[in-house]
Amino acid sequence: MKFDFGFFLESLPRIGEAAFTNIQLAIVIFALATLGGTGLTIARALKRSVLNGAIGILISFVRGTPLMIQIFLFFYALPALGVRLSPVHAGVLAIALNSAVFITEIMRGGLSGMDPGPIEAATALGLRAPQIWGLVVLPQLFRTILPMLVNEGTIIVKGTALLSIITVVEALRTAQQLGAANFRPFEPMVGAGLVFLAVNLVLAACAGVAERRYATARA
Amino acid sequence: MTLDPAVVLDSWPLFVAGTVVTLQVSAIAFVGGILLASAIVALSFSGGWIRVAIQVYLGVLRGVPFIVLLFLVHFGMPFAGIRMPAYFNGTLALTLYASAYYSEVLRATVLGLPRGQWESARAIGMSRSAATRHIIAPQMLRPALPPTVNSTITMIKESSVMSAITVGELTYQGLVVQGNTFAPFEVFIAVAGLYWLIAFVLSRVAVAVERAVATGQGASARRNAIGERYLALDARAG
Amino acid sequence: MTTPEKPERLPALRVTGLKKRYGANTILDDVSLDVPAGQVVTLVGPSGCGKSTFLRCLTWLDPPDEGFVEVEGRPFGREVGEFGSVRLQSSREVDRMRPRLGLVFQQLNLWPHWSVRANVEAPLRIVLGRSLEEARGRADDLFARLRIGDLADAFPTQLSGGQRQRVAIARALAMNPAVMLFDEPTSALDPELVGEVLGAIKELALTGMTTLVVTHEIGFARSVADRLLFMDGGRIVLDGPPGAVIDDPAHPRARAFFDKVLSRRSFISAKPMTGEQA
Repeated sequence: MKFDFGFFLESLPRIGEAAFTNIQLAIVIFALATLGGTGLTIARALKRSVLNGAIGILISFVRGTPLMIQIFLFFYALPALGVRLSPVHAGVLAIALNSAVFITEIMRGGLSGMDPGPIEAATALGLRAPQIWGLVVLPQLFRTILPMLVNEGTIIVKGTALLSIITVVEALRTAQQLGAANFRPFEPMVGAGLVFLAVNLVLAACAGVAERRYATARA
Repeated sequence: MTLDPAVVLDSWPLFVAGTVVTLQVSAIAFVGGILLASAIVALSFSGGWIRVAIQVYLGVLRGVPFIVLLFLVHFGMPFAGIRMPAYFNGTLALTLYASAYYSEVLRATVLGLPRGQWESARAIGMSRSAATRHIIAPQMLRPALPPTVNSTITMIKESSVMSAITVGELTYQGLVVQGNTFAPFEVFIAVAGLYWLIAFVLSRVAVAVERAVATGQGASARRNAIGERYLALDARAG
Repeated sequence: MTTPEKPERLPALRVTGLKKRYGANTILDDVSLDVPAGQVVTLVGPSGCGKSTFLRCLTWLDPPDEGFVEVEGRPFGREVGEFGSVRLQSSREVDRMRPRLGLVFQQLNLWPHWSVRANVEAPLRIVLGRSLEEARGRADDLFARLRIGDLADAFPTQLSGGQRQRVAIARALAMNPAVMLFDEPTSALDPELVGEVLGAIKELALTGMTTLVVTHEIGFARSVADRLLFMDGGRIVLDGPPGAVIDDPAHPRARAFFDKVLSRRSFISAKPMTGEQA
């Protein structure tokens, strides 16, 4: 077989267009995961043993099982419990939960290396816990973990490709459909690979810029 | 609704078969990935176009979702005139994917070693390969082990995607059982539990190794009660 | 090919026109030097003058941009070919010559995954292809000479700074080098260890080993060395007997340097250098 370059070029715009679905999904998922991860982190810092035990089980479960299975649980298994979600909703929630857990673990690492001095100063000045989180701890924390958050972002973008399996029409599924319709699955798949690569390269470039800006702000 | 464990228990041979295949492909990808990564890291210290080629290889493997890589290999192999079963293609894709992650681990480990170790070996007359074999590689083992185990767990979880090209691993068998029984909740919880067990056993290994390695570590950040309130996430004992 | 001249007529180390640049900075500016066999030379100079780079170029860890190094008359790293053309040696040729220069790093760089014995024996076996018995015999000789026989089975991390220094010396000496090179052996040490380490180097120097020491220890230079080189701006600007150079430096930068070093370190250099109690 020969690589059909014409077909490849023909399929590329449609896959690229579908990639906007991936980007939109990834943005929503990233926002949910960051919120969720921050919430989990603050909840863990309260050190209530029952709560921490429950979060510990959640973390262990999410880290110990494939994202695919988590997506299946949200999409196929939740209806059995009476919760019926559309493929997009199930997928977004599954990936967001997965990433929230990885983000709270990233935050745990960031906190463990943090200087307690500013917190002591804020406490001495009479700031309350919510203010200390919002004004002192979190701003510092996000700065230190920014590179790892961006890395989590690329993992989320890649994760959205898995939603093709539960029939979400995004870049990979579009490539598969084009391949099936034309009996040439390889060319559109190369297109899908390039599209994901491009999205992640742009993300990496943004991360580089953001990191440099923060690095100068920190210095 | 009611949980029906019998659904899962009756299908145990499929779950066992799936677990075996998952462990098999993971073991092959582990060995192949480490070997490939060692070669990649060794070559990455040379200059010129080899370095560029390696950067492109790693950039592509890290920037493309595994499921896309899997399809690329699966559809691309026949394109190159190589017809192989899905099992082969899937394992090949997983090995390539793992090689990128192990490369990152190994490279960070090499760069973490004091530069003087390499220089003292070279200054006394050891060739590059002798210095690598006798001085660098033995010292990499301990620091590289924990992140290697972590990457391996990630890779095992990623292998679930191989169900998309009908490789008969754990997730695929789960989908088969769920197709037979229409009991998705029980089936996917069981599948998840098996993955969790594999990851748990491996992470215990990592913890044990880490503990063995963690002698004479640097002092951690200054700590006190107020700092702990915000910076520590573990519930107090008792 | 080496010239059929008698080895003792040749300097143990000959450096000709060594130059090294990093970007726009010239670190070594045409350094030439002959060290006859048996001579003990100290090289001093302000930090950043190029003395560490000099050792790294000499041992080809950082190949110099220009210039030649000869060890006992044999070219190392770069040589003049048959038709007068300059040729870089292959890495195999370089590796074969490297054991002729025994470099003791400032940080020592012992191999922590090996015992003291393995640190000394392994290079003999790997690089020189000695048998286990030969390597063992050579190591035991050196352990006895350096009085570290009881440490042979210890690991480097278990040793004191002075003991480590002796192991590093043993490791380099085992290769039977023509010249021993020391890169600032005392500058990373606690003050109380300086005397012990300099004592070990002094013992070595007294055996007639050709030695080049990069150091700030003026007292050591005065009492042990045959010759003192002062380096500044990538050049050797003074070269002579230590006493004469230190007491009456014929170079303004050198005068300032010695004044500073002597006033700051006087309490150390005043210490008697007995080495270890035998």
